[in-house]
Amino acid sequence: MTVAVPALVTPQAPRRLLSFDSTWLLWIAIIAVLLFLVVSPFVYLVITSFTAERTGEFTFANYAAAYGRARYIDALVNSLKLGAAAAALAGLFAVPLAWAVARTDMPGRGLTRMLVLATFITPPYTGAVAWILLAGPNAGWLNRFYVLLTGAEAGPLNIYSFPGLALVIALYSFPYIFIFTTAALELVSSEMEDAANILGAGAWRTMRRVTLPLALPAILGGLIICFLEAIALFGSPAMIAIPARFNVVTTQLFQFFGNPVRVEVAAAYAMPLLGVTILLILIQRLMTRRKGFVALTGKGGERRPIQLGPWRWAMFGYAMFVAALAVFLPYLFLIQAAFAKAWGRGFGLENLSLRNFHFVLFEHGTAAKSVINSFLYAGVSATAVVILTLGVAYIVTRRLVPFGGVLGFLCIAPFVIPGIVLAIGFYAAYAPPPLALYGTALILILAFTTRFLPIGYVNASAALRSLNPEMEEAVRVLGGSRLTALRRVVAPLLKRSLLGAWLLIFIPATRELSAAIFLYGPNTKVASVMIFDMSEEGNFEYLSALALILQVLTLPLLWIGQKALGKDFMLRRDAT
Amino acid sequence: MKRLACLAIIAALAFAPAARADMKALEEAAKKEGELTWYIAHYTSEGAEELGAEFTKLYGVKVNVVRTTAQVAYQRLLQDLKNNQTICDVFSSTDVGHFVRLSAEGRFEKYVPENASKILPAFRNFDPAGFYHTTSAGLVVITYNTAKVKAEDAPKKWQDLLDIKWKGKVSTGHPGFSGYVGTWVLTMKNLYGWSYFDKLEKNKPQIGRSINDTVTALNAGERQVAAGADGSTLFSAARGNPLAVSYPSDGSVLIIAPSAIMKGSKRPAAAKLFMEYLNSVEAAKINAKHFAVPLRPEVPAPAGARPLSEVKTIRPTVAEISKGIPEVIEQWRDTFGN
Repeated sequence: MTVAVPALVTPQAPRRLLSFDSTWLLWIAIIAVLLFLVVSPFVYLVITSFTAERTGEFTFANYAAAYGRARYIDALVNSLKLGAAAAALAGLFAVPLAWAVARTDMPGRGLTRMLVLATFITPPYTGAVAWILLAGPNAGWLNRFYVLLTGAEAGPLNIYSFPGLALVIALYSFPYIFIFTTAALELVSSEMEDAANILGAGAWRTMRRVTLPLALPAILGGLIICFLEAIALFGSPAMIAIPARFNVVTTQLFQFFGNPVRVEVAAAYAMPLLGVTILLILIQRLMTRRKGFVALTGKGGERRPIQLGPWRWAMFGYAMFVAALAVFLPYLFLIQAAFAKAWGRGFGLENLSLRNFHFVLFEHGTAAKSVINSFLYAGVSATAVVILTLGVAYIVTRRLVPFGGVLGFLCIAPFVIPGIVLAIGFYAAYAPPPLALYGTALILILAFTTRFLPIGYVNASAALRSLNPEMEEAVRVLGGSRLTALRRVVAPLLKRSLLGAWLLIFIPATRELSAAIFLYGPNTKVASVMIFDMSEEGNFEYLSALALILQVLTLPLLWIGQKALGKDFMLRRDAT
Repeated sequence: MKRLACLAIIAALAFAPAARADMKALEEAAKKEGELTWYIAHYTSEGAEELGAEFTKLYGVKVNVVRTTAQVAYQRLLQDLKNNQTICDVFSSTDVGHFVRLSAEGRFEKYVPENASKILPAFRNFDPAGFYHTTSAGLVVITYNTAKVKAEDAPKKWQDLLDIKWKGKVSTGHPGFSGYVGTWVLTMKNLYGWSYFDKLEKNKPQIGRSINDTVTALNAGERQVAAGADGSTLFSAARGNPLAVSYPSDGSVLIIAPSAIMKGSKRPAAAKLFMEYLNSVEAAKINAKHFAVPLRPEVPAPAGARPLSEVKTIRPTVAEISKGIPEVIEQWRDTFGN
């Protein structure tokens, strides 16, 4: 990474400002777009929460309504507890795995990484469906096996419970901690561990007293992200918490959109979620910034894998255990259900059928279309984000305008807005006239674009910083405009990073649920919403078929990404 | 009953020529409009999709089937209305209260289908003002898994579900989603007071969303007895799943589910034609196949289902439903936690 840019550019900047350049127009245009995408929904959200529904007058009544019932407060508390439980569990899954993969000679490290990736690209609601099949209190497969083996009356597991929900969320969010932790551990120098060894500490003690503390800020950062993921999630709670008979913030928000539609109350109720997220992201930033020092001091050192001896097989066993919970078992039974006449009837040939796929693809009026919608909207959003953030990152890193930092900040800001809160903001701002985007594809695309701006921006600015500005200067000297330089030199050079960013946005956007659930219309239903609707009737056979179709369609994209960018392109630290 | 049916057929034949000319014009106009959007809570997804596909086959008009539970369909519709959008052309809910409210707000286009006079007399003229019309009927009954529960052990009346022996074995839908469940909850409350649900809560029922979720819960062996819909349960049983229905002695809850055309519909002809279709013999046949009550006397009740005339039915009045369901949803959430 070259950091020599500022010195080169600063003296020339003022001169360029005087000559009227199209960049100014571009700057204004980008500011306008960002205001539209980021600031306005946010402002509308806050205003709406203080607005009386019919009269439009200023009021605190929405807050009174939102917090006026014990049930609503319970939901808030439940969310916080759920976040803490899920994050703690995810830590238990992720940290040992990350340490083993990054620092030891555990066998199957590549395999483990691959399985973490498989977990990462499994939408949480797909995981939830699979776990209903696995751990339904009476019919779940794990319980049935338990009964078969022990002859007990009933199995011990109940997915329809608070611990059940926490487990499902943890299983599909632990990759965040894994990514952060491996990134940090890979920077810890072996010399520090050697020092501990020389002073008489064994491998475990060294890990506990030296390695882990060095990685602690990264681990905590990952835990925070998991916590935030858990409290902002809609799909898994809706599928599990309703039968388990408790509410969380997101399912309660969905109820406020019920009968009667109370957007104002929902906006007021969304505020704690927003507040907690902003606060924790700030803390996380502070912590991971400190980690930067550690990483730098360790950078020159040599890194050797720690020899675990026979323990390496125990470690491998644990990795495979986690993988079994997150990948092997869920997919086995998803596939079984997708190809079954009735999932409860088991694996026999007489239960095998393609009917579910046929129904979902050909008989169901909107299911196939919902998959196309998902890919279409995700594609448009990802493209828009990549172009927009490339422009912003270019302006900011090349310091083409004063206050460029504001642009960068606006691109990063949506990171602190949970998807479900963002959706309510978009709904409040753009669903009604004058824009009247309600039920249109555009409102979904705009919301997705906003939601994924941070990923795009982080990638684009990292990529641009690695590019020497001299090449663009050459274009300028030869009479080309900034845009020419951007189009003809910068974009082609950054082709691979931009493709990477595109995929990093596209893949999660195809399965986004918590924003889509508030913004879709009957003709703009996306696959995630379709899956959610199907879960109403408990049609797990159809659900599994549709969820598998979605996963299979993602595989070629993953393959392209790995070909172009390396096997772990989705699991790299700068990718999140 | 039979005589009435004969009369209905004769009447239909007598008016046929004039009606047929009108229908031809309607079909032409509908074909030009090309499609319509149908918010539908009456049937299972499969039943709804099949009805939509048959309509497309008959008239070449595409049906965008939006199948959800009644309260979700209503929520969707209210959002549409709030944003001045007319996306839904025909609205079919299982919560009669929706029709009372929407009709009072002038949200419906008045249309009395020709075919509305040809359905079983008991279901005719549901809305005297003619804005909404019965398009489906079904029962909430006690359902059970025959592999786990013998017929003689199955609950015989609603209060049997409160027996401690069903603890952890009962399944229901959620009144905050399903119109069938909402109507059932209200009926139970009218019969036995809210204490019925305080007691049911002690049996820790598994609460899904749609009433059809009980079918899955029973099939999977997740639960053994349920307050389910006769149609979706018997349809699944006919496919070989271990399910049966017990008609409670204190009364099966009769659900009369209407449909209406939304005011401002951009495809008025297709919507009208679709309303005709929902009361047609073709639709009744598909209904019978899915074990819903065939509304047309020409179509016999499906084999295995008890004809409606032989079932003791109970139902709250329209006024009670309209006022009562929103109340019981809140009570339910307080009792069951969400």
